[in-house]
Amino acid sequence: MLGFFKKRQKKKANGLNDKRHPEIDWLNTIDASLSINLEIIKEKTGNSPDVIIRELSMGLNDSVRTAIVYIEGMVDDQSIKDFLIESLMKNQNLQEKVTQQEPLGLLKKKAVPFGDVVTGREWDQLFSSLMAGEALIFIDGTAEVLIIDTRGGEKRAIEEPSSQVVVRGPRDGFTEDIRTNISLVRRRIRNPSLWVEPMKIGQTTKTEVAIMYINDVANEKVVKEVRRRLKQINVDSILESGYVEQLIEDQTFTTFPTLYHTERPDAVAGNLMEGRVAIFVDGTPFVLLAPAVFIQFFQSVEDYYTRFDLATALRFLRILIFFISLIAPAAYVAATTFHQEMIPTQLLITVAAQREAVPFPSFIEALLMEITFEILREAGIRMPRAVGSAISIVGAIVIGQAAVQAGIVSPAMVIIVSITAIASFATPSYSVAISARLIRFLFMVAAATFGFYGIILGIIMLTVHLCSLRSFGVPYMSPLAPFTLVNNSDTIIRAPWWAFWQRPRLISGENTVREGSRQKPRPPMNREMVSRSNEKGDSNE
Amino acid sequence: MEKAKISAYQLFVLVLLFELGSALILPLAIGAKQDAWLAILLGMIGGGGIFLMYDRLFRFYPDILPTEYVQKIIGKTLGRILAFFYLLYFAYIAARIMRDFGVMLVTFAYPDTPLFIINALLVIVVVYTVHKGVEVLARSGELLFVLIVVVAVAGFILVLVSGLIDPSNLKPVLEERISSVLKVTLTETLYFPFGETVVFAMLLPYLNHPFKARKIGLLAIGLSGVILASVMAINISVLGVSLTSRSQFPLLTTIQMIQVAEFLERLDIFFMLTLVVAGFFKISILLYAVVTGTANLFQIENPSRLAYPIGLVILILSVTIASNFAEHLQEGLQLVPVFLHIPFQIVIPLFLLTLAFLKTKRKQGQ
Repeated sequence: MLGFFKKRQKKKANGLNDKRHPEIDWLNTIDASLSINLEIIKEKTGNSPDVIIRELSMGLNDSVRTAIVYIEGMVDDQSIKDFLIESLMKNQNLQEKVTQQEPLGLLKKKAVPFGDVVTGREWDQLFSSLMAGEALIFIDGTAEVLIIDTRGGEKRAIEEPSSQVVVRGPRDGFTEDIRTNISLVRRRIRNPSLWVEPMKIGQTTKTEVAIMYINDVANEKVVKEVRRRLKQINVDSILESGYVEQLIEDQTFTTFPTLYHTERPDAVAGNLMEGRVAIFVDGTPFVLLAPAVFIQFFQSVEDYYTRFDLATALRFLRILIFFISLIAPAAYVAATTFHQEMIPTQLLITVAAQREAVPFPSFIEALLMEITFEILREAGIRMPRAVGSAISIVGAIVIGQAAVQAGIVSPAMVIIVSITAIASFATPSYSVAISARLIRFLFMVAAATFGFYGIILGIIMLTVHLCSLRSFGVPYMSPLAPFTLVNNSDTIIRAPWWAFWQRPRLISGENTVREGSRQKPRPPMNREMVSRSNEKGDSNE
Repeated sequence: MEKAKISAYQLFVLVLLFELGSALILPLAIGAKQDAWLAILLGMIGGGGIFLMYDRLFRFYPDILPTEYVQKIIGKTLGRILAFFYLLYFAYIAARIMRDFGVMLVTFAYPDTPLFIINALLVIVVVYTVHKGVEVLARSGELLFVLIVVVAVAGFILVLVSGLIDPSNLKPVLEERISSVLKVTLTETLYFPFGETVVFAMLLPYLNHPFKARKIGLLAIGLSGVILASVMAINISVLGVSLTSRSQFPLLTTIQMIQVAEFLERLDIFFMLTLVVAGFFKISILLYAVVTGTANLFQIENPSRLAYPIGLVILILSVTIASNFAEHLQEGLQLVPVFLHIPFQIVIPLFLLTLAFLKTKRKQGQ
């Protein structure tokens, strides 16, 4: 059955490939004539007004005709106007020297005040540079072009990330510009072994994608695998890192994320130090990290900045939160429908009294409230900010007061739904919270049909499913299962920094040693240090 | 044989879960009355001996499954037939355990739900797990083992706190002479649960460090024996001999007695569900053994697909092997040990071991 589907998909993919760019059929290298070249550019870009062609003449008696081609908005306007055009037009010295022979080399050497200048002659290359924001200098009579790195243009300033907020920790977040993002990480790891490999993905969008890893820390096999999977991507567009994530993950049929994504440069730096590989995609502030393990989604960068005991307690809390958001409504349904005897008598009487007026079985009641809440939440996210507060007021009335007063749901149910909702907001990773949201409904169905037996079977199945997942070959539940004792210093518990001896073994390569021995801070060996300062009389006493 | 490796710790957890699986819920060795714990401990020692035998066989052929080395020892045709009978034996035990758990659930929580439905749900989860392979089974075991430990420790503390334990119920020790205890050991506890580790012969070849098998196996059997003995001792000291022997599921009855602070009571549901987890692993391990053995015996390329049909067979078996629970228990206590456990757990392995030993001797002689 599955095999059959696979075959069909393959056929489709092949069909797409052949039809992609039927009209492109130009001569592959450029012409010597300037006007022909410019004609081709105009034709290929459909005379788009943002493609600027600035023709000018150089040399004695204006004998050398040249043209600068760039795209408005993609280039750094300042440098084009102030440096490039200025130096080409106003440099007297140059004007005299430029002749028909070898103007290109001369320009390259003497006239173009930019860091990255190369020559090219193939249209493919020229267009991709042009579209990336580089400026091209054509010279009449030369079948070669100067490509100048003038990439720039408007971009968002570095702001505090909105998705992973911390109380203590750096405030800078990634932006939509890939080069800014890479530099943000490089500023944190100043080491030549921090390697970046650029590539272009997306047949039409030609999106810049870069993988980053620390050469002697990352597992070579994982790096190779990431590279291979990225190279295999053959789609027309990549508009967000979510595209890449879904094209390179190990298993599609799961609600759990097998790649970690973050907006925080410090999170990326920390994960690189553990041996992971980062995947930057231009146009989005979300950077992917591979391989990801399940427990990672319950960790926040702040855990590493606060004290270890508090961080550990918080991690336990988050695991609890995850279970609450997963099975709280299901447990309520099971307890009220099947196992009333396990509720203490006093509580049972209270709950039963509340439920007496409610016309629905508790499963329908729970389903009603959960769906209402999901609708509210979705509305709250998608609506314009100004309307958002109105929704929260309406929501509070609908879920809280009115529904209970109208006798449609019981107050206990409202409490359960609210706790579940708060719990699902408190999960540090949105992508795990959202999958718990979906699975919660399955648990509710299981509880409604088979009570706690249904729930425990659901939990077993969920555990088995999680254990069967892998992320780039690393078992998803590691280092809990398979259990690796050394690496459990950073899972549910967060050991003090002096006890982080090793990097995660399954993730990083051979280089697992993280810190020197005897990192544990010690108080002064003898009390002399303290008493000496007293002797001098420089204390406040 | 699937390309998979399990670690020593994973094997330890699996053996432990397997041993505890259904033995925890049943009135184990109650024939020995208040000396049940002693019968269990003696069974454990014997079980350790039996496991050493399986381990020795495994050391002769560390890379291949028993279904394969049986053929090497006693010849192709005979070996295949014997291996096939072993698979039937495993399937039958799996069905028996499923019946135990199904009846427990029906009795304690779901009186109106048919046994078939209860078992069918469990089979779905078991098949799903076995389909994913032995590594996933082992990893899930590691995770859910934690849950079982937490619940077990909590249960123990609660029983202790609520002051139910009356040690005088365990006295006098050895009232009816040692022979009656030995009789229970030799007819019951030696085979169930300890001798059932024969199924691990099918899992040992997956171990990443084969030389650890002996130590890990003995450790797990020892720990499970101590746990089972103390659980049974607690049951008897809480309920007394007569109530324990009349209760179908004494552990749950004990848990039902817990009453702490007028809030924690009727906790049997939680314990029942935790026991379901242990039973789930026992059934999964048996089903996995059948699946991987069948695939090996009939040279089927994709073993995981076999989980569905064989799971269905076990489901139907579990409902049809006995017409009621009394009959089921009767079969389990009187017929199964003699006709199935003794030959499959002791006689045949001993015979195979002797032959294998002689064969290697002869090879060395040449």
